[in-house]
Amino acid sequence: MSGAASYLARRAVQKERVRILYRRALKDTLNWAVHRHLFYPDADALRERFDANKNVEDIETIDRMIADGEAQYNKWRHPDPYIVPWAPGGSKFTRNPTPPSGIEIVYDYGREDH
Amino acid sequence: MASALRAAILGHVRVPVVSSGSKLLTPLWIRSMSSHDDHLEKSQVIDRVLDIVKSFPKVDPSKVTSEVHFQKDLGLDSLDNVEIIMAIEEEFKLEIPDKEADKIDSCALAIEYVYNHPMAS
Repeated sequence: MSGAASYLARRAVQKERVRILYRRALKDTLNWAVHRHLFYPDADALRERFDANKNVEDIETIDRMIADGEAQYNKWRHPDPYIVPWAPGGSKFTRNPTPPSGIEIVYDYGREDH
Repeated sequence: MASALRAAILGHVRVPVVSSGSKLLTPLWIRSMSSHDDHLEKSQVIDRVLDIVKSFPKVDPSKVTSEVHFQKDLGLDSLDNVEIIMAIEEEFKLEIPDKEADKIDSCALAIEYVYNHPMAS
């Protein structure tokens, strides 16, 4: 039955979108509320918002809600998020790349060999 | 004449440069002093990951072993899974891409991912 398979495939895609959206929203919440004692209540509130819609069954409604959620996330994105230094966007990214192989530096300190 | 004398003295004093092309001659301690190498032991990784999972409020600490599946064995939600992976990222100072993070489903996968990551510290 291709109907059931495509339905399940759509639901699986939706679940993945929800997980990725929750992950980004949680990181964003941590970016906005830097201190942990502010982050924990905000994270709980975010989790409540996700959990309130946990049992929706209609696939179109779910799609609409995910699109709404992503729009809200895009509206509230932090302008200067914390990124781990060596990751792309961080401060150490490509700071000291390894030199290309085959280059040999001759340390002769100005000695005159001729 | 002075230049010949100078050249003779320099030829006597100068240390000839030997280019060691073979990698076998580089001693092992050179890498151990590099600031880039922060290699974690597997036992350390296992201990820290299990501590994170045990301190999760919705998890029963006695059930946590290194082969536990988050959603099947511990009865967690997929969103709880996301939270655990975020905690692991913060603990090991990693940045896991979203697609990779979605696939980490159990303690064993998490330990393996962290252990194989070159920048875990």
